[in-house]
Amino acid sequence: MTSQNNIKNLTCPFCSMHCDDISVTTTNDQYKVDQKNTVCAKKIESYNLNTKSIVMPMVGKKVVKLSEALKKISNLIKGHNETLILNHGVELAGLRSILSFASQRNCIVDHVNSKFLYQNIGVVQRTGYMATSLTETKNRADAIIIFGNEVLTKTPRLIDKVLTPKNSLFPTSKKEIILIGNFSAKIVKNIKGKGKCNITNIKLDLNLVGDFLKLLATDDLKLLKGLKKSELIKIKNILNKSKYIVATWTASDFIKTLNPKKIIAAICKYIVDLNVSSRAACMPISGILADETSSQALTWMTGFPSSIKHMDGTFKHDRNAFNSQKLIDEKNVDVVIHVSTINSGKLKINSDITNIVLGHPNTTFTSTPDIFIPVGIPGIDYEGIMFRTDKVVSVALKKIRDIKLPSTQNILDNLA
Amino acid sequence: MITQLKSGNVYDPHNKISNVKKDIFIQDGKIIDKKNVRSKVDKIINCSDKIIMPGAIDLHTHIGGGKVNIARLMLEEFHNEKEPGYDSSAIIAPSTLKTGLKYIEMGYTTCFEPALLPINARQAHAEMSDIPFIDKGGYALLGNDDYFLDLLRKKSSQSTINDYVAFILSATQSLGIKVVNPGGINAFKFNQRALNVDEKSKYYGITPREIVEKLTRAIYDLGVPHPLHVHCSNLGIPGNFLSTIETIKAANGLPIHLTHIQFQSYGNNGDKGFSSAAVEISNYLNKIENLTCDVGQIMFGQTVTMSGDSMSQYRNHNHAHPNKWMCMDIECDAGCGVVPFKYKDKSFVNALQWAIGLEIFLLAEDPWKVFLTTDHPNGAPFTSYPHLIKLLMDKTFRNDILNQLPKEILNHTILHTLKREYTLNEISIMTRSAPAKILGLKEKGNLSEGSDADITVYDKNKKDIEEMFAHPSLVIKDGKIVVENGKIKEYVWGKTHTVKPDYDKSIEKDLGKFFEKYHTMKLDNYILSDDEMNSLVGSPVYVNDCKYKRKQ
Repeated sequence: MTSQNNIKNLTCPFCSMHCDDISVTTTNDQYKVDQKNTVCAKKIESYNLNTKSIVMPMVGKKVVKLSEALKKISNLIKGHNETLILNHGVELAGLRSILSFASQRNCIVDHVNSKFLYQNIGVVQRTGYMATSLTETKNRADAIIIFGNEVLTKTPRLIDKVLTPKNSLFPTSKKEIILIGNFSAKIVKNIKGKGKCNITNIKLDLNLVGDFLKLLATDDLKLLKGLKKSELIKIKNILNKSKYIVATWTASDFIKTLNPKKIIAAICKYIVDLNVSSRAACMPISGILADETSSQALTWMTGFPSSIKHMDGTFKHDRNAFNSQKLIDEKNVDVVIHVSTINSGKLKINSDITNIVLGHPNTTFTSTPDIFIPVGIPGIDYEGIMFRTDKVVSVALKKIRDIKLPSTQNILDNLA
Repeated sequence: MITQLKSGNVYDPHNKISNVKKDIFIQDGKIIDKKNVRSKVDKIINCSDKIIMPGAIDLHTHIGGGKVNIARLMLEEFHNEKEPGYDSSAIIAPSTLKTGLKYIEMGYTTCFEPALLPINARQAHAEMSDIPFIDKGGYALLGNDDYFLDLLRKKSSQSTINDYVAFILSATQSLGIKVVNPGGINAFKFNQRALNVDEKSKYYGITPREIVEKLTRAIYDLGVPHPLHVHCSNLGIPGNFLSTIETIKAANGLPIHLTHIQFQSYGNNGDKGFSSAAVEISNYLNKIENLTCDVGQIMFGQTVTMSGDSMSQYRNHNHAHPNKWMCMDIECDAGCGVVPFKYKDKSFVNALQWAIGLEIFLLAEDPWKVFLTTDHPNGAPFTSYPHLIKLLMDKTFRNDILNQLPKEILNHTILHTLKREYTLNEISIMTRSAPAKILGLKEKGNLSEGSDADITVYDKNKKDIEEMFAHPSLVIKDGKIVVENGKIKEYVWGKTHTVKPDYDKSIEKDLGKFFEKYHTMKLDNYILSDDEMNSLVGSPVYVNDCKYKRKQ
């Protein structure tokens, strides 16, 4: 018998915006997004079960019972020296269970994106920092500087929800949006098409962001490659007139530059300096693998945002020694437990290391893991809490289907 | 199971018991009367050389929420031995686990986060749920949010404001309402750098006085036990005692609680333009019946200041030690600022701040109206409470420290003339019975039948009062022995205290539209239900009675 339901205000777990205005129609185990935003709809729908979905535990290529898979994991961990739990995205309850399990088994815990996290928090740990949030930016910002295009490719709905909203508490005649870097014509068109705003795109090499910001802060009109004198004057005029300037970026966008930390520090310093006489703030956009959920919860539970090792009731933190990539590359761990409930990318299975995956049923791998246990997706298969990119807001996730899969919490609590 | 604490010297000010040899009986997590002990006592604990008090209550301590987590992240060197500046003794931004352990080791069993941003409530409660042992709760911040200021600008009725306040209490699972720098945080977002009590904000044209008037009235009308919890305008500014007094007057005689009043009791006399106005403030405290305060005592050493008052925190960022800081504008709702700070005993200003806090304690005629806090961690970490208690109970100890401070402060403080020494009963009042009373926690802060069996047992043979309060012999939470001779015996998890006054639900329709138009989340997602608290956030909710009204 076909059962159809319309569910309104679903909170999307799949990017750090966590939009909660998604409507879906479910038909039995399948769901379809009602809205027309094709990028997000396609992504959300890609987690529907299909013929390739794995809904039973596997040991190698063999289907096994859950109890057997759990027993096998338990024995594997007992027989090895160092276990890494590598978080590819999970909600708060899953994270609490990761920590609880790690404390009982003295495991290392890291998030797959922790290297990007440290680029942003370096500023908080070393200098001054002015920050803002999505709703403040939506209502208050009259000028928004976007450094690098990943901000908009990773969180496409930033455009309609924050950059060019229909309503604003403090409307300005035209919002100024300054794009720094190479933005595709499609993105520029998308922003233009959504509302009243002026767009200025400076096709600057991101390595030159620091120099560019120095020019903005002075009367100097020295030219940089990719920057015309008229553009510089125009931007200076825009920013001088603006009452609330927001700078945004995503740290992973700077990974190919010579010194990502230096670029982020330069942006933050520029914003801090503006506050001497005006108002301005930073709003970095975090990764799409529940990066903020991980860093926030780990910070309150251990004092550290990532890269920690549990040692007999205490926590050690060392962002180099417990960096997951380094540990794996140097074969300093025997077992890696990948927890991957929202990742649409292909999961890298590392040779010469035992790989256990607690992943959603549509997880794909570079090669077959030693053990795979399918788990539910928070916000699709069970309720949960995740943190938004601006850190200060956390959202409640709903359950919209019932395919009888355990949660990450169920599995880890069972193993502990 | 029945447990008997036998022949202890009991201090239970709520029941007017002071240093009386008594037995206390515990059954099923509650205290029972001797006459109701109807079965065999399973466990008898000899307390003949012990002092028994209810578990202590901290009514103002920053233990959960976004700003606390920023501080943890910012100040890694204070909890990471790999960092060059590692200082294991500085409990300035402890993890949730460490927070619970340190509180319970001192016999504190209930604590309240005083700056719970409504938009951040889910996180604050999730953090606090991960603090073991203690019961907890929070006061929701209002008075700087654009929705509220717009209600005032539109001259909305008091009943509409009451509905909004009640909605916020319920939606954020809070026990009270706090206002921080009324209107000032919002004004800072419009680049206004100061806002006096009778100064209109540039955008809304609203004064802090109007905000305090409306909110104190709302709390009173709704019957919320805890009066409006106020962090006044002009925090930390010399001469601010005048705006503190004006804020008191803004309550129009209704109950009002001024928080960390030490930071609000500054004069501007003398060649340094900084002096104590503790006498002026204490005069008000002593004469106005409905006025209460917590002190926010400072202690010398490293700490971190964290506040919703982004206007003040931005102003103070140049004093950051170590030199790093952060301020944030938050969701048309509030703001925050985190600035690490080191109070130095050689500093004239810091030494005088230390003296001002103690003056307020010692000038307070009624210990039921003044509460022992350091505004953790703003004045000092909560772990300094035993030291503070010794300062209050031992004038020789106090004067010895005073004598080591810069001599010129003696021209601006009367501390050296104050002979008062607090008694154990007065300490029990200000750390147990009085906070329970002012918060409306009927089953806390006393040893009456039916109250929660949260009990702290001290060794009266300990000669040093600081040592006695730092290391109780026994701490009992909900009837379970959780600390014995300094060792953790069992982990327990507390509940979240709230109030839920009635209100006209039609306000949610207007709020829903406001969220739809101006926010980046739906109202439904903003509201924290009891079910979510229980199942996802991780803490059961305890709803306290909300029919209580103090005298007008």
